[in-house]
Amino acid sequence: MTAKTLSVAAALAGAISVAGMALSLPAYADNEKCYGVAKAGENDCANEAGSHSCAGQSTVDYDGGEWQLVPAGSCEEMGGSLEPFEGVNPTPPA
Amino acid sequence: MRCVRTLRSAMLRDFQRAFRRDLLGDGDGDLAAFTGMAPDQAARRMRIYRNNVQGSLAGVLASAFPVVERLVGKAFFRAAARAFVERHPPTVPQLSVYGADLPGFLAGFPPARTLPYLADVARLEWARIEAYFAGDAAPLDPAGLSSIDPADAAGLTFRLHPAVRLVASPFPVQRIWQANQPDHGTVSKVDLQAGVERVLVFRPAMTVLAHVLSAGDFALVQGIAAGATLGSAAAAAIEAEPGFSLQQALADHFSRAIFTDAA
Repeated sequence: MTAKTLSVAAALAGAISVAGMALSLPAYADNEKCYGVAKAGENDCANEAGSHSCAGQSTVDYDGGEWQLVPAGSCEEMGGSLEPFEGVNPTPPA
Repeated sequence: MRCVRTLRSAMLRDFQRAFRRDLLGDGDGDLAAFTGMAPDQAARRMRIYRNNVQGSLAGVLASAFPVVERLVGKAFFRAAARAFVERHPPTVPQLSVYGADLPGFLAGFPPARTLPYLADVARLEWARIEAYFAGDAAPLDPAGLSSIDPADAAGLTFRLHPAVRLVASPFPVQRIWQANQPDHGTVSKVDLQAGVERVLVFRPAMTVLAHVLSAGDFALVQGIAAGATLGSAAAAAIEAEPGFSLQQALADHFSRAIFTDAA
């Protein structure tokens, strides 16, 4: 038995005993908040999307204008990420 | 008779193609030829369809990528989504799998060039979606391994739970994700120069969670995911991170229930 197989075996044995003491799956359920990623029920066409298409036909049509849009959202709240586009993107890509 | 049927199916095919073009793109009005309507009338009516389809698909994307939407703002997201829908229309009639290509699309989307981390944040969000919809499997009970011959330990291979995903980025994507949760109280600064972040997405107890792994731990799980033995995955881990503790990493992963089988 080489030293390497021995150390892997020892680590595995150690991990098993640690996990055995605290096999704590339920603990994870309230360890960290999870943003709902639920997409179930998205297969509708009657809510926001429907009203959008009826009420906002002119705004839906971005055409050429969309390419000049500059990202503006929460990045501005996150100090570091503001810098790459401070002010307004002066040269919007064609 | 046969000729007529062939002609009709050819017409139907042409009509469907024209309809699809109009639906996904900026329609060239050739639908008028099929309907007998005046071109502007046909185009006006078609726009209603188009806005419904594109608007609902953009809505699906927004609900799958809420952090990306928050990062770029609603107007930008909607414009990007529309460009995406045109180039990547759904190929499967199942909205829960729509959006897999968005991270790659954003990586090459010129208006998003000022946010180099955006595509990786999208990859993390998509990994969470995949984890959410992945099949279920009973976690490995580590006690079952206690009888293993020490000489065989290094040759063990593990099967990962179907919901496990790995996302590595040169940017602190998990911190960006966290700072942009609706219930994240304080406005936090994220240092974009913080360096590489390696994220494990997993789903114990039916809840999608994400955890930042060390370089060694990431290499370990990556190796295991690729079917490597515990011995060679551990060797890769130690190479990536000299102080790597295999015991600690395995104990953590056992309690995270990311393994389903060992052989």
